[in-house]
Amino acid sequence: MMIDSKAELPIISVRGLIKNFGPVKVLKGLDLDVRCSEILGVVGASGCGKSVLLRCIIGLEGIQGGTVKIMGKDTSKLDKKERYALDSSWGVLFQDGALFGGLTVLQNIQVPMREHLNLPKEIADELAHLKIAMVGLAPDAANKYPSELSGGMRKRAGLARALALDPEIVFLDEPTAGLDPIGAAAFDSLIKRLQRTLGLTVFMVTHDLDSIFSVCDRVAVLADGRVARTGTPEELRTNPDHPWIESYFCGERARAATASI
Amino acid sequence: MPNIGPETMTDLSATSPNIGSPEIGLPSGPSLRLEREGDGYRLRASGHWTVHEVAKIAPSLGQIFESVATRETEEAYIDLSQIDRLDTAGAWLLEQATELFRSKGIAPAYAGGREEFMSLLEEVQSRTHEEQPEDKNIGAIATLLSDIGRATRGVIEDVTTFTGFLGVLTQTMLGLIVRPWRFRVIPFIHHIDHTGLRAVPIVILICLFIGAVIMQQGSIHLRPYGASPLSVNLLGVLSLREIGVLLTAIMVAGRSGSAFTAAIGSMKMREEIDAMRTLGLDPMEVLVVPRVLALMVALPILTFIGDISCLVGGAFAAKIYLNLDWITYWDRMQDIATMKHFMAGMLKTPFAAVIIGVVGCVEGMKVGGSAESLGSHVTGSVVKSIFIVIILDAVFAMFLSEIGL
Repeated sequence: MMIDSKAELPIISVRGLIKNFGPVKVLKGLDLDVRCSEILGVVGASGCGKSVLLRCIIGLEGIQGGTVKIMGKDTSKLDKKERYALDSSWGVLFQDGALFGGLTVLQNIQVPMREHLNLPKEIADELAHLKIAMVGLAPDAANKYPSELSGGMRKRAGLARALALDPEIVFLDEPTAGLDPIGAAAFDSLIKRLQRTLGLTVFMVTHDLDSIFSVCDRVAVLADGRVARTGTPEELRTNPDHPWIESYFCGERARAATASI
Repeated sequence: MPNIGPETMTDLSATSPNIGSPEIGLPSGPSLRLEREGDGYRLRASGHWTVHEVAKIAPSLGQIFESVATRETEEAYIDLSQIDRLDTAGAWLLEQATELFRSKGIAPAYAGGREEFMSLLEEVQSRTHEEQPEDKNIGAIATLLSDIGRATRGVIEDVTTFTGFLGVLTQTMLGLIVRPWRFRVIPFIHHIDHTGLRAVPIVILICLFIGAVIMQQGSIHLRPYGASPLSVNLLGVLSLREIGVLLTAIMVAGRSGSAFTAAIGSMKMREEIDAMRTLGLDPMEVLVVPRVLALMVALPILTFIGDISCLVGGAFAAKIYLNLDWITYWDRMQDIATMKHFMAGMLKTPFAAVIIGVVGCVEGMKVGGSAESLGSHVTGSVVKSIFIVIILDAVFAMFLSEIGL
């Protein structure tokens, strides 16, 4: 029972989140819970504030109101030390990997290790090579620079960097955008496999219907600055109950995505 | 072998570094215990096996296997039942322990691990045996030689692309003489405005100061020889033949050459140049010709303004250091600053303009996909064009003195 009640406690809890850019109100009192060890997909129309929500949660954007609690801690009330500790408990994959251009893939993965841990070089090398293998990159990618990699490989390398410290939460910003369908499907199954083996909680902003139906445990739909609905992809498809959700989950492309599963 | 039951053999501990003690690890962190069990071994792992902790015991991992003899036994277990947390780094470390067992000819099995631990261990096991590429370490001398070789090849490539580009530019310009209606007048005017008119204040300012400085230095250093009035001659000849041209060209290279590279380079990055080609537009005709021609018009005018500014700056300094009044100064300057000197300077300007324009455009065309390459080519454009302009100046100085100009 103890374990059950702990699992019910959301790992990320957002309440009444307000975010404005000047006069433009992007998030108007948003509530969202992310459960432990689930893959949550966040969908919504372009410009509805999905990425902004992600950036607010990880603290890259200041917020005008509301609270963001991660593992029970209010992020706005953390001192510098707690904030630093929190930074090592999550990994973020930005849209194009956001790898440091002046460093090789191996060095990129070692950046968080160097900053947060005091590992001997041999162990750091071994672990970084292990992460490279785990995200499905060829061993010779380790000594390449980001500019020498394709878009899909950059994303994998970015994911390896996000996983460098074995975080509990991984934030993915449109992980399959710009990948070809085969590459996107491979990336989806990679996320699913890593989530299972590492017990990760995944917060994924996406547009990709295939990703939603193949990997997401739950989906949160953003509309009008709030979470319009949450539920499993199947629930939302069979019972849309909202015009945007209906056109998104029951349109031509959604039918194709669900048909292939 | 006598059956002595579970007996502690070796232990690794970060808190008690005594090697004889039977344990390694921290109370909350990971710890490893090697125990005899019957004929075999039991390696008992407990605590948090996470990336934050592994470094504390990884270096001493070998110690606990010191007492294990090669091919001593068939049976060995790694007991995972007391592990609280396990992540990739911890799983990697357990895998290292397995490797150490294997190096003694013993094949251990995992026991008592939770299901999620086992899947993680499996994952790590399947990934650690992928071969890792060797770092290509070729030594300092070889690195030096290869760097020299690469730099030499870079220079040769630069010369060939520059010459090739110049050829294509000439061809395009000749084509425009045949079909003059294809010449882009508006961009041409725009670039004259940007590279010429807007550079006037900075050129005036710099030349004014340098002129004054040359006059001041000349009057001071020629005074011991009683020749300080000759500093007017010095300034007159120097500014018209060299200083006016060089200062202006360097200024324009820094200001406009870099702007050409940045503009064309960012178009290259966003595939605008490729789009242009597919739409039947010739980038040479649309982007390069107006820029180079605009510079060829702007640079002589700017140089003329620079020359005059140098002389005016000299007039101020002459007033102070030689007590030469305005009218006398210009009277003397008229005898010194002859058309010959003026033309010797002016002759170089169109050539400098072509160099700055072409280098700026060539570097822009070489920009690759990344923002870093844009930055490095902008820097390269300025450095190369200034370098070539100075070489050109030296060649002209020799040539002009040979023909007596």
